[in-house]
Amino acid sequence: MREIKTVTILGANGAMGSGSAGVIAAFGGAKVHMLARDVEKAKQGIEAAVASVKTDTIRARMIPGSYDADLEKAVAESDWVFELVAESYEVKEPINARIAKARRPGTIVSTVSSGLSIGRLAKAYDEDGQKHYYGTHFFNPPYKMILCELVTHSGNDKKVTQALGEYLDKVLGRAVVYTNDTPAFAGNRIGFQLMNEVAHFAEKYADKGGIALMDEIMSGYTGRAMGPLATADFVGLDVHKAIVDNIYDNTKDEAHETFKLPGYFQKLIDAGKLGMKSGGGLTKVVKHADGKREKFVYNIKTGEYDPYPKFDIPFIKEARQKIKDSDYKGAMDIVKNASGFEAEIARYFISRYISYSLSLVGEVVDTKENTDGAMGFGFNWVPASAFVDFLGGPKETIKMMEASKIPVPKLLKDAKEGKKFYELGDKLDARSLFKG
Amino acid sequence: MSEKVFVLGGEQTDFQRNWTKEGKTFMSMMREVLDDALEKVGISYDEIKRLNKENRVAVFVGNFDAEQYANQGHLGAFLTEVNPALYGVPGARYEAACASGSVALDAAITHIRAEDYDLAIVLGVEVMKTVSSSVGGDFLGTAAYYEKEAKGVQFPFPKLFGKLADVILERYELKEERFMDALAEISRINYANAKRNPKAQTRTWFMNKEHAMARGGDNNMAVGGRLCITDCSQVTDGAAVTILASKDYTKEYAKKTGRKVDDIPRVKGWGHRVAPITFEAKKQESVGDKYILPWTRQTVKDAYKRADLDVKHIDVFETHDCFTSSEYAAISAFGISEPGKEHIAIEEGTIDFGGKKPINPSGGLIGVGHPVGASGVRMMLDLYKQVTNTAGDYQVKGAKNGLMLNIGGSATTNFVFILGK
Repeated sequence: MREIKTVTILGANGAMGSGSAGVIAAFGGAKVHMLARDVEKAKQGIEAAVASVKTDTIRARMIPGSYDADLEKAVAESDWVFELVAESYEVKEPINARIAKARRPGTIVSTVSSGLSIGRLAKAYDEDGQKHYYGTHFFNPPYKMILCELVTHSGNDKKVTQALGEYLDKVLGRAVVYTNDTPAFAGNRIGFQLMNEVAHFAEKYADKGGIALMDEIMSGYTGRAMGPLATADFVGLDVHKAIVDNIYDNTKDEAHETFKLPGYFQKLIDAGKLGMKSGGGLTKVVKHADGKREKFVYNIKTGEYDPYPKFDIPFIKEARQKIKDSDYKGAMDIVKNASGFEAEIARYFISRYISYSLSLVGEVVDTKENTDGAMGFGFNWVPASAFVDFLGGPKETIKMMEASKIPVPKLLKDAKEGKKFYELGDKLDARSLFKG
Repeated sequence: MSEKVFVLGGEQTDFQRNWTKEGKTFMSMMREVLDDALEKVGISYDEIKRLNKENRVAVFVGNFDAEQYANQGHLGAFLTEVNPALYGVPGARYEAACASGSVALDAAITHIRAEDYDLAIVLGVEVMKTVSSSVGGDFLGTAAYYEKEAKGVQFPFPKLFGKLADVILERYELKEERFMDALAEISRINYANAKRNPKAQTRTWFMNKEHAMARGGDNNMAVGGRLCITDCSQVTDGAAVTILASKDYTKEYAKKTGRKVDDIPRVKGWGHRVAPITFEAKKQESVGDKYILPWTRQTVKDAYKRADLDVKHIDVFETHDCFTSSEYAAISAFGISEPGKEHIAIEEGTIDFGGKKPINPSGGLIGVGHPVGASGVRMMLDLYKQVTNTAGDYQVKGAKNGLMLNIGGSATTNFVFILGK
């Protein structure tokens, strides 16, 4: 296993920078150079790192510094340089040029980018540097979300990849998922496909309940703690746009059209309504004079915010009760057999999610366990393979996909009936991700 | 004794789960764990039906406080909700605070020894994340003498076990720094062991010796005298099942599953003693005794005697580390060290995962989590895994005999079981 004693974090004051630094200093016991635009910001990053992992013991080995004054010296003595500056080539490339000059042979350099090409970023380095350049896509907040997508590119050395993977897994306690250098990698490609297509359906069915209805149809009984549109609102519509635009521009697969940003998302972004971080987006919460909070939802047709509605959809109620009683197959039987357009939409998206996850095996990842891990550990969504089992196996799942006019991936066509399809059960109990 | 009761295996829930957040209940937890356990052991509900026709099967539910945490009593009858195959199967709930799982095991073992039943399903369960930690702390106070020791006290149990730490320090005239270092090492070991256990509550939590030593401040608050957060096990939601069987049934089972009876572990010994309920009475009674918890020591001795074994024969221990001070006292109670010299065994690495007498390879209560009524059953399950060489990443090499100590209250109800082949 690779020994990593000294680490430089660039972007130390951001949520991801400080959170990742906390994990590296605590679990890894490493000395960490915390670099930001100025030393004061770096010091704030140290305090945020301490708070994120809740241990004062790391404070003494975190050293604040600035890019201008300290980058070269910090990089020169580091075993790993972890760059978490803003998500654009314009910002990252000049920084990489400086790191490339200062780094010692053998030092690992990685980026947390959730979408940029790792191969392109690696070009700033000489041959040894390219060999040691990776994407280490941590999720937010890093202490709680243990997924790390380890993104490789064609210039990497398999031995170094293995050693880094072992370090991330055994020392830092990450659930490591190996992905190829493709747009948005595994987790975001699958997650944002679903979120964006659900957003299109919200527009299509704007007069029937729109955003709130879609999140109700895709609520906890479908294997996620938060509805897809609530998730988009949580991560921010600007971030959502950046991710889906990147995938739309750089991929051509069966779901290509579903990555087009819906018009009303752009409208909200233009109005500065970016989601929870800006006080409102797809939803907003208003605090009344008496202290009570009321939730509102964006009406796509009128552009106004309406009180968040409650729905009474019988099959969802029944499925939820089954989940509550830990009868997961019973819940899926209800979903499979329910009538009405809401049930059709539920079946469509469950099918789409499973199909799209499995279709990326071979392109984005080498095995389905990697997409399963990405969704289970990174999004807290029931992994696609586990869904196949809860639905009653490959045949039943294919039946549902065909009825929903969703392509059936080869991996599922070739799967053996009567054998568990989900293989991460010992690491991740998929049942815990359903919400009743 | 050792030819009468066999353990066929079982299963536990993932102790990291928060069932209330998942929108599920203690009932769903019981269903999942029993389904999983039967599947793992290879016994079907049809088999339960068959045995029930002949009145050969019974269920034993260990639970401390479902009334307060879940507003539900009568849990012994609740397995009928899990599966109709359990209609008519004799079942009852057993309670002895944190030793509730063990008192259920004890009842099951007794019935099998008496040849009343051939198969006993022991299920320990506790749902605790339904309330805040301070409300839960008050509920747990009923495991002490509530009126005298817990009423109006915030988190009474850390305080009681903090007093145990005080008495150990004074009685054995230990150097405080060395003693506290030993307690921190207990914490480090349990957390480190839990990292290998895929069902442990703390498997993704950060902890090392440096942090365990850094007592005080916001990140490792004092909660009971000398004891800080890192000295405590934490409550969680969880359930565990172990399935016990008579020799006759074990023979049938072995034949059906292609195993040898000799490869299936047996309950070789047990001990059960109750000490005075208040900590003050325990302290007074033990003045002049080598052991601060003489009844805990006696329980271990009883089990050794019944098993005709001694500490030298035990390869692995699962102990009740509700607090680091309780594990500390257990080291001499097991006979691993002389009383007052536990710190030396800790310093020498004797109880570490790779040591001569590993304690809590699972992570113990500190690492695995402490769903009160499930802990005793979980310990038995872990002994089963160890002596059948099925503990995966936390397997102690070559473990043949294992001993568990499960205590209720401030070391009031003491249960010890020895399992081996």
